[in-house]
Amino acid sequence: MKTLIYFARRLLIMLLTLFIIATATFFLLAATPGDALSARVERLPDVVAERLYAKYGLDRPIMERYVNTMTGLLQGDFGDSIIYEGQTVQSIIREKGPISARLGIQQMLLGVTVGLLLGILAAVKKGTIWDYLVVALSILLISVPNLVFALMLQQVFAGNLKWFPVIGWPRENIWFGGWEYTVLPTLAGCFGYIASYARLLKASMLDVMNQDYILTAESKGLSRGEVIRHHVLRNSFIPIVTQLPMSVAMCITGSFFIESVFSIPGLGLYYVEAVAAQDIPIVMGQTVILSAIYIAVVFLTDILYTIVDPRIRIAGGKR
Amino acid sequence: MSELLLQVKDLAVSYHGYAGEVQSVRRVSFTVDRGETLAVVGESGCGKSVTAKTIMRLLQTPPAEIKEGSQILFDGEDVLRFDKKRLADYRGGEAAIIFQDALAALNPTMTVGNQICENLLHHSKMTKKEAMEKAVDLLRMVGIPQPERRVKQYPHEFSGGMRQRVMIAIAFACSPKLLIADEPTTALDVTIQAQIMDLIKQWQEKSGASVILITHDLGVVANIAKRIVVMYAGKIVERGDSRSIFYNPKHPYTNALLEAVPRLDLKNKQVLASIEGTPPDLINPPKGCPFSTRCKYCMEICCQEEPPVIPFEEGHEASCWLYCLEKPCEDAPFTWEGRSNDR
Repeated sequence: MKTLIYFARRLLIMLLTLFIIATATFFLLAATPGDALSARVERLPDVVAERLYAKYGLDRPIMERYVNTMTGLLQGDFGDSIIYEGQTVQSIIREKGPISARLGIQQMLLGVTVGLLLGILAAVKKGTIWDYLVVALSILLISVPNLVFALMLQQVFAGNLKWFPVIGWPRENIWFGGWEYTVLPTLAGCFGYIASYARLLKASMLDVMNQDYILTAESKGLSRGEVIRHHVLRNSFIPIVTQLPMSVAMCITGSFFIESVFSIPGLGLYYVEAVAAQDIPIVMGQTVILSAIYIAVVFLTDILYTIVDPRIRIAGGKR
Repeated sequence: MSELLLQVKDLAVSYHGYAGEVQSVRRVSFTVDRGETLAVVGESGCGKSVTAKTIMRLLQTPPAEIKEGSQILFDGEDVLRFDKKRLADYRGGEAAIIFQDALAALNPTMTVGNQICENLLHHSKMTKKEAMEKAVDLLRMVGIPQPERRVKQYPHEFSGGMRQRVMIAIAFACSPKLLIADEPTTALDVTIQAQIMDLIKQWQEKSGASVILITHDLGVVANIAKRIVVMYAGKIVERGDSRSIFYNPKHPYTNALLEAVPRLDLKNKQVLASIEGTPPDLINPPKGCPFSTRCKYCMEICCQEEPPVIPFEEGHEASCWLYCLEKPCEDAPFTWEGRSNDR
């Protein structure tokens, strides 16, 4: 029963959060000067312009537009794109989502794996040259924007060495084909993950290694490897567990910079273009959908927590 | 087989920190016989826990450094020279340790049963199932009700006293020859303290193991330890059997410690005695007697030269200049026989 109330409360909070996000996005967009059509209607006769405005409901007072938009959101109807004739948010996400998702997932898998391994290395070999190398590397990777790495990789491996295509993205077999296109963008995007996960895991492991229960484990006669595998790792993964779902959620939203540099027709690129063009339905729709995914992921994280750390169990949950 | 189980010889341990070298333990020697309980008493920072951890080889080196010339003989073998394999058998199998804060000393993400099993699986050829059965038996032995159910629970589901019982179960698991109890009751309330001490005592009588009991609480020591070692600022200032330490303390520090124990017969009217000042900085330990800065009977020579070890009755000795005077000092603690009578 308590668990049920807990879930109901969480659901309510999630909906409220979404409502606030949608409202804020709407009014922020409405507050920006100009609109999606102003550039286009300049040379059109007034009658045509009026009709265009009427078609997208942009001639209505702001509060009416707000109510219309919100009712549309409730019904899952975000409206048609103003810029791209006949496109809806759903069709755009369906078309471009997988592209960004593949890139994001590849970046994350590579970045998190390498990052965690480096983190373990740095913690286990604390105070040695390996530790310093990992720390120096993560500071470098976290301080330089991935845009710079993207351009450098493109210059060296695509431009000079010609190992990989300069730009582009596989058109067929969108999930598994054309890997040569994906190598450089994946590399460029995984550095951030490497840096943050290496640092996070190292700090967490060092913290755990200073705990008394590690002394207890050692006093049982366990070897260093056993102590690290059975006692240190699980406990130091608790902060990773909070971080990881966030990273997964970030995967889908795409990266504007990397998608621009490598001309990848993904969500990130499209999203930023839609904002620039003030394509209100698209921006609203994407914001709400991506926020919803993000919020759901946060909720999942909380549940994941209880699996890793038995101390956190939903109050009154099964024992 | 000799009577002697553990022999600590000239043990010196230093920590290297930013401020310099902290000399935590400065040439400490003592012995523990088979089946005996030795209490190591002293206030915080006097080096007693460091000594305990060194015996278990649990010190992280660096920052700690065990100085040349230190020896810890366990059954005649030098623990400080154990290789990895020997050490893995020694820890948990032949010597075990219980820490002060049982919650911190238990892994929060592992069931209690698994934490006990780990020890058993490491030191014997049991199967997982047999080890789990043994773990249930151990929990029952240390007085945890419903052990079959409890074995599957996590440490946070246990109360403070129960956690310490679990720690004890882990320590007892492989029937070690030596148990080091590092302030086992400090984090517990008084009634639980007595139960825990009883538990250790019973087990010791049954198994014939030796116990090193480390504490700052003389009250805990009284009816369990046969011999007492009093440490101050990394040195042993007095040692003897518990009768002579309690009724006939020789070192002013031991005397001050005993005075600081609250007395039941005085009800609420007593002012709790304390020892003025703070222990010396062990980065720059004093040249003479370490207690000289706080000692009521401090003389010129105390600040200049280390006091010699003065033997009294059998096994009772103290390091103090007071006993080298030509004429005994009027109010010095060695005239305290009178006090023990009016107790």
